Amino acid sequence: MEAQQTRAQQTEAHQTEAQQTQALARVPQAPAVGGEARSEPKTRGRSIVITSGKGGVGKTTTTANVGIALAARGARVVLVDADVGLRNLDLVLGLESRVRFHLLDVIEGTAPLDDALVRDKRVPTLWLLAAAQNREKDDVDTEAMCALIERLRERFDYVIVDSPAGIETGFKNAVAGADEAIVVCTPEVAAVRDVDRVVGLLGNRISVQLVVNRIRPALVRKGKMLSVEDVNSILRLPLLGVLGDAPDVIVATNRGEPVALDETAPIAAGYRAIAARIAGEDVAAPTADEPAGFFEKLGSLFGGRH
Amino acid sequence: MKARRIVVTSGKGGVGKTTTTANLGAALAQRGKRVILVDADIGLRNLDLVLGIEKRIVFDLVEVVEGRCQLRQALVRDKRFGDDLAILPAAQTRDKTAVSEQQFADVVAGLAEMCDYVLIDSPAGIEHGFRNAVAGAAEAIVVTTPEVSAIRDADRVNGKLQERKLPMRLIVNRVRPEMVRTGEMMSVDDVCDILSAELLGIVPDDPEVIDTTNRGIPLVLDPSQRLGAIYTKIARRLEGEIIPFTQIGGGFFSRLFDALRAG
Repeated sequence: MEAQQTRAQQTEAHQTEAQQTQALARVPQAPAVGGEARSEPKTRGRSIVITSGKGGVGKTTTTANVGIALAARGARVVLVDADVGLRNLDLVLGLESRVRFHLLDVIEGTAPLDDALVRDKRVPTLWLLAAAQNREKDDVDTEAMCALIERLRERFDYVIVDSPAGIETGFKNAVAGADEAIVVCTPEVAAVRDVDRVVGLLGNRISVQLVVNRIRPALVRKGKMLSVEDVNSILRLPLLGVLGDAPDVIVATNRGEPVALDETAPIAAGYRAIAARIAGEDVAAPTADEPAGFFEKLGSLFGGRH
Repeated sequence: MKARRIVVTSGKGGVGKTTTTANLGAALAQRGKRVILVDADIGLRNLDLVLGIEKRIVFDLVEVVEGRCQLRQALVRDKRFGDDLAILPAAQTRDKTAVSEQQFADVVAGLAEMCDYVLIDSPAGIEHGFRNAVAGAAEAIVVTTPEVSAIRDADRVNGKLQERKLPMRLIVNRVRPEMVRTGEMMSVDDVCDILSAELLGIVPDDPEVIDTTNRGIPLVLDPSQRLGAIYTKIARRLEGEIIPFTQIGGGFFSRLFDALRAG
């Protein structure tokens, strides 16, 4: 009873705070959290899971940046962190200090959905539903997760679920409510093998597209890295995007400012292209071409083939 | 049990657990220790690929547990290290629940009778596969990178290891000195402070690792790789030698402290 009261007080305090912050951010006609997302209830949004099998290939970074790129096009987007116990999407988005409630609170009814959705003030149509940090993946009931995704689909154009690494319970829950999947793979044999396994587990119900991440064209040319063609000759998936390896991504993660927010960043164009293709636009086939680097040019001057 | 049983884990995936397990194992074997590496990533095995022994696998961990073969039969020897390095591969077409924590611990105990070091390559995450990997271990090496997300996950894993009273040491992987100097990457000191962990090794970022990994060659066997010497140093520290660290100075990331407190 006492606990409930405290939680209710917290909720109240949070709402007030949210309203204040929104007023400060001068959002026009500042609605309560979730207000804008509630309009147009008839359309059913798309549910897309971002997964990979192997960890550390860029699932969370891809989720954050593709989400930003879609929202920047005007779509209403909610990003759902399904990595219960090891959440990171909040950090990558720089929203960690604003997370009050999480996915399990909503599923278990301890907090209303509106209170758990964190709005990204930098892109007004982008929202985050964070994962619980001090709970286990086995605590999430798969059917309840599906029901939550359905609820979100009524309110958003895109529900993008960031899957945990692996193929255990957390993966199964992340995938359960999705109609589409984006698998992220790096040009490494280990990553390719894991993606291959995951695609097998996704089955025929879910349509799968591939993003090849962290390509270094200079290393590919030297024969020291698998090319996009090498990767996809094994996986044979529709190619949604190719992204280069950029050290600014680490900096962006540490700062909580995803690269897609900086429209001048070269890699942001890659995310915009992915967002456009997701939205159904017929944009040019993805490549990761970049002009040859200075040292590589130098090498070819002196040493011929490099 | 005579061997040291060490789990290599991280929480976050892709920080270099498998690369660390393979190369640390190879460095220990090169120093004449008998080492057995266990791939605990059932369903998503990769240790075999990193060591280039994938075509020689006959039996796997799950078949050992199910009594379909002897423990010794399932071990794949890495001939480049004579009799000193062997791998117990994970099953690829099964899932992690095929083995219980007790069964896993029994397998590790059996291996510990045959060698000096058992290194267990944990899967990412903190689910069943992680609990299995930790079950048979007496020590832990946590691998992390200087990124807020990797450190938050390492902190969570740290807590889980403390619950089990496993002593833990830290390897900070993929450090880019030039980014640390410009303040774009947190320093190893920062990482150790945040995790309040004892440091076992610092490994710089090297894109060529991907290539050697793709080709299945341990770094200590490739003289062109500067990282080979670094894994040898880590192996010597593991054996109790005191070898000073080459430190790389840097800034201070208070944001992460806040994130950990909040989470």
